[in-house]
Amino acid sequence: MNTPLDSDRSQLRYAEYVLGVLDADARADVVSEVLTSDEAATAVNLWHRRLQPMSEEISPVEPPDHVWARIQQALRFDVRERARIAPARPGLWENLRFWHWIGLGASTLAAACLLLLVITTGPHIAPSSPAVPFMASSIAQTDGHVGWTATMDIQQARIIVVPVAPESFTQGKAPQLWLVPSGQKPISVGMIATHAPTTLKLDRALLARLGPTAALAVSVEPVGGSPTGQPTGPIIATGAIGAAQG
Amino acid sequence: MSHLADERDELSHLLTQVATGSQGAFAELYRRTAAKLFGVCLRMLADHGEAEEALQEIYTTVWRRAESFDAGRASAMTWLMALARNKVIDRLRQRHEYRPSHSVDLDDLIDDQPGPASRAEATDEYRRLRECLDALEPKQRQSVREAFFSGSTYSELAERCQVPLGTMKSWIRRGLLQLRTCLDA
Repeated sequence: MNTPLDSDRSQLRYAEYVLGVLDADARADVVSEVLTSDEAATAVNLWHRRLQPMSEEISPVEPPDHVWARIQQALRFDVRERARIAPARPGLWENLRFWHWIGLGASTLAAACLLLLVITTGPHIAPSSPAVPFMASSIAQTDGHVGWTATMDIQQARIIVVPVAPESFTQGKAPQLWLVPSGQKPISVGMIATHAPTTLKLDRALLARLGPTAALAVSVEPVGGSPTGQPTGPIIATGAIGAAQG
Repeated sequence: MSHLADERDELSHLLTQVATGSQGAFAELYRRTAAKLFGVCLRMLADHGEAEEALQEIYTTVWRRAESFDAGRASAMTWLMALARNKVIDRLRQRHEYRPSHSVDLDDLIDDQPGPASRAEATDEYRRLRECLDALEPKQRQSVREAFFSGSTYSELAERCQVPLGTMKSWIRRGLLQLRTCLDA
């Protein structure tokens, strides 16, 4: 090595900072150097370029959807904007769009479509063990954007539904949440809010039917809830149920 | 490899747009890069909840500091990854207790036959670094790699590998200087 020893020594500190072997105090020293010295900033930058390709050995892992929702909340992106820019999740809801196109408005057809949806989306649903204490669902709207996220706490027998970017409802109409067990009629879970989290009890009948073969759905109903016990308005959002990651 | 070059240009372009306050560009940047950064967070923090928190912190910082990105100095991915690693390592230093994995022989510690997550996606930079790493003595190569993927301090590495602190420092420092010579040649 024909570089002077002193230069090597300061170079090493920048390299050690990038590699991550320095303790907290030594790291802070390098950071303040980088902020005040162009030379230090350039050296650190060069070490990032030298060492970082090693990261290519680490397999990518898709983060859960709620991380993106939290980032937007933390940055106070407004709700309308959020709906517009939700990262696209292609594939799953193409069927729903199709059904919407042929006229999802009729209530009898709506119920039929729900059943069909559960069947057609089956292969996409992640397997989950029956022992999972939490389950989760991203309830996506017909435009592909997530309207609500739901977390089911099996031990506490409750479901928490958090609005992400739900569409707006006309006067006198409100969203109602349904559980749709595979091959069965929808069961009402309850009315949910569009601006605040809603916590609902899960009775025994609902708990028994939760699982990866069931789905959640949201329909547009009168504010007091569907008068018939089945969806009467259009289904505006659906979500598969999977084991919560954690 | 032209699709890699295109991807690189697109990410740089997106990051430049994020700097002007485009929420749409930010969403697209997240969609394209979050899985890579989350993989790094999970690997280094080894805790799903903490990795999620770290990822949130990383992207809120990306939004606020995007204007400091200089496409002439680094690629967007290098910039993002540097930011991510720094956040993760700072978190590791804040942990009150060091959580060591079991003491093991260095030879068992690291996968010394690594490869990129997907061979087809290996960049020229990765191939170059790989050649230079392969030219190091095994102890140097293994300790540099272990340090990079674990974010551990010298003392933690020495403890885990059951070697004196001075030995660990010397392996890593000699490895780093040799890497620089090889990569800059």
